[in-house]
Amino acid sequence: MAVMQQGIQPSIVDEIARAQAASRRDFLLKFSLTWVVIIAGIALAIWSTGNADPAFTVKWGPLILGGAGITVFICITSIIGATVLAVLGALGRLSLNPFINGAASLYVSLVRGTPLIVQIYFIFFALPQMGIVLDPIIAGIFALAFNYGAYMTEVFRAGIQAVPRGQREAAQALGMPERLIMRRIVLPQATRIVVPAIGNDFVSMIKDSSLVSVVSLQELLWRANSVGRSNQQLIQALLIAALVYWALTIIFSFFQARLEKRLAKGDR
Amino acid sequence: MPSRRIAVIIGTFALILAACGGGGGSSGEDMLARVKRDGVLRVATDSNYAPQSFLKEDGTSEGFDIDVANEVAKRLGVKAEFQYPQWSVIEGGKWADRFDISVGSMTVTEPRKEIFDFSQTYYYTPAQMSVIADSGITSLDGLAGKVICTGEATSYWQWLQGTLKLGDGGAQTPVPNGATATTFATDQDCAQSAQSGRRDFEGFLTSSTTLKAAIDAGAPLAAVGDPVYFEPLAIAIDKASPPHAELNAAIDKAIAEMHADGTLSGLAKKWFDGVDLSVKQ
Repeated sequence: MAVMQQGIQPSIVDEIARAQAASRRDFLLKFSLTWVVIIAGIALAIWSTGNADPAFTVKWGPLILGGAGITVFICITSIIGATVLAVLGALGRLSLNPFINGAASLYVSLVRGTPLIVQIYFIFFALPQMGIVLDPIIAGIFALAFNYGAYMTEVFRAGIQAVPRGQREAAQALGMPERLIMRRIVLPQATRIVVPAIGNDFVSMIKDSSLVSVVSLQELLWRANSVGRSNQQLIQALLIAALVYWALTIIFSFFQARLEKRLAKGDR
Repeated sequence: MPSRRIAVIIGTFALILAACGGGGGSSGEDMLARVKRDGVLRVATDSNYAPQSFLKEDGTSEGFDIDVANEVAKRLGVKAEFQYPQWSVIEGGKWADRFDISVGSMTVTEPRKEIFDFSQTYYYTPAQMSVIADSGITSLDGLAGKVICTGEATSYWQWLQGTLKLGDGGAQTPVPNGATATTFATDQDCAQSAQSGRRDFEGFLTSSTTLKAAIDAGAPLAAVGDPVYFEPLAIAIDKASPPHAELNAAIDKAIAEMHADGTLSGLAKKWFDGVDLSVKQ
């Protein structure tokens, strides 16, 4: 009896495992098939307009791709600036000083409450009337950093508040001054908590950087638009730009996932 | 105290911003001295305005305006550096010293003379009306009550509004009765929109050179009627720029020399199919 049971159980377990693996593979196959069919359908639709000229991609592709470098540069610089603003803003929002708290809260409310494109126009076109003239690239970086800093302020504030109170109390019991507590105990842990949100914002910023094209900064979208319109190949040009944005977000999402795994090592 | 640290950081940030702003316009020196010292003449032009200025695959641009700007810079002993702001940004003035001159086929009009200091005319173009090829319209009167496309902030748009006052007082044909205007960021956008199949307008008004380039590129347009006016086109400097009397005089002199020694004629014939538009028709 026991021998028979021993004989049956492993094969049932095996069968179940095999069935699950098969259903997973089946799902993945159909999933990938759907992607391929839809993308092929779109490509076919574009090809059938009779307007698609492959020579355009060869001739103008490099110029459009060159814009990606500027896009990445703008995004990296802006996210650093935004992070700095976010930490300051979060500390300001948590401050007991009513003036600082008021200023930080106004910053968050005002900047989250106005469209990014309005802010870009303002910084580039309106500030000169007050005597502040910024280069297109500086204006673009500043606008993006300023805007995303407001959103990330709230994220950082939540991250700081999410650090267990016990951490702060233990540090106070050790006699640590407030500034040191924030710098050595709270902020590092808060940063780990907010990394997914920051990564998310960075990926979002890669796309929002396309708005800077309105101040004639020759980044990815500006080039695609300019070149596509003047050569009657706007579909192709914009597709190239869209694919590049997509590739950039995939790459950075990948790095973000690795960073999160790295930071979570202490949890295991 | 953390709040004081924050205040110091914010204060430094504000100071940096203010420093960025104070950058331009130091002493009372003329722009010409600065241009010669930097060895660079910053020129604003269009990136999508064939055959006057348009992009090449390597990101630089070519065209009649580009050649003229390069030649003027050469005669000043410097190099031309091009920027491509939107036309409405150039035409609106208040450049905030972002660039020195505009070589963008700007029509000299009375209102614009109050915002810009113009050089002497470097070429003239007929303002040519055109229609979508299959619309069946064969004369200017056929455009009565129809929609005509122009570039934003161009003299063509002003003509359609009835507010165009040419700088040399030239004659203008009356606007077709009840015709209304629609605009795109730049003239070629109208042609490219028609070429892509859109039918938001029946007529298109631009310079004859731009129209010809559009038709050659495949836009379904046909010229209709005689030119509605002839426009004098010149190089412009924003009056709100730093002191530039000497720069203006130097550019004017360069243009005069280019007329006299035939450079402008040669460039015009090269880009405008052998027609010498640098002299008045």
